[in-house]
Amino acid sequence: MKFVIVVAIVLGLILGRRLYVQHTARLQVPATITRRVPPELLSGAERTWIVFTTPLCASCGPVKDQIELEDPSARIITVDATREPHLADAFEVRSAPTVVLADARGEVQARLVGAPAVRNYLAARPSTA
Amino acid sequence: MADLPAPKPIDPRGPRFNQAVLTVALLGAFLLDARVVVPVFAVVLFLGAAFGPRYGPFLRLYAEVIKPRLAPPADLEDPRPPRFAAAVGVVFLVAATAAFAAGASAVGWGLALVVAALAGLAAVTGICVGCEIYLLVARRLGVRLVA
Repeated sequence: MKFVIVVAIVLGLILGRRLYVQHTARLQVPATITRRVPPELLSGAERTWIVFTTPLCASCGPVKDQIELEDPSARIITVDATREPHLADAFEVRSAPTVVLADARGEVQARLVGAPAVRNYLAARPSTA
Repeated sequence: MADLPAPKPIDPRGPRFNQAVLTVALLGAFLLDARVVVPVFAVVLFLGAAFGPRYGPFLRLYAEVIKPRLAPPADLEDPRPPRFAAAVGVVFLVAATAAFAAGASAVGWGLALVVAALAGLAAVTGICVGCEIYLLVARRLGVRLVA
């Protein structure tokens, strides 16, 4: 019985952590940004990750690799914010990497700024592999 | 109360480390029926809450051993909300200790597990229920927070 109570508390904390990280990632989506990813970037995948990079961004490559590793069934698009300023502006990209996650309909689920935010989000979300 | 000098902001990872240790210790104590851990952590929390982070054993361990190995914190926080939360934890753990002394071990462990669960929640998410209570009261009293 004791073991069950402790396991229930620990599982509750793990679930709480996951929900919290996902909730804060949603809160990071400013009300002023485009809420939908342009249809031309979607290809029917259940999830689309848009990784905004810049030519000098050292952590963008590892972030993209980590997303590929942790969410292999998703579509991942790399966008050079300096070459696609309209798209970068639409998502208020101010630093790289900024990562936008959209669902199959193109609705923005999360906007993550910086490698630690992406790492935390990937660690907290349920496995899809 | 509003005229008291504002304290120096602290690294929020210190209280979170303290909360993580408290959670692990209380859950472990519950599994092993080690009731002595409850009053011991009541004292540990009391030292930090009453006299500041320098006197809390795990807060000091974090500040002197762990913090120097980490990057600087992304942000700082007012020390008063976590100290208030720790004081609430002390009340619960003292009540739990009294319940053990009175032979009501189920009540004692119930109170201790409430502290463990809330400390764990604060450690893994940063959502600190005691801190929120402090903030609610502080806003009503017009206390200005420093971070």
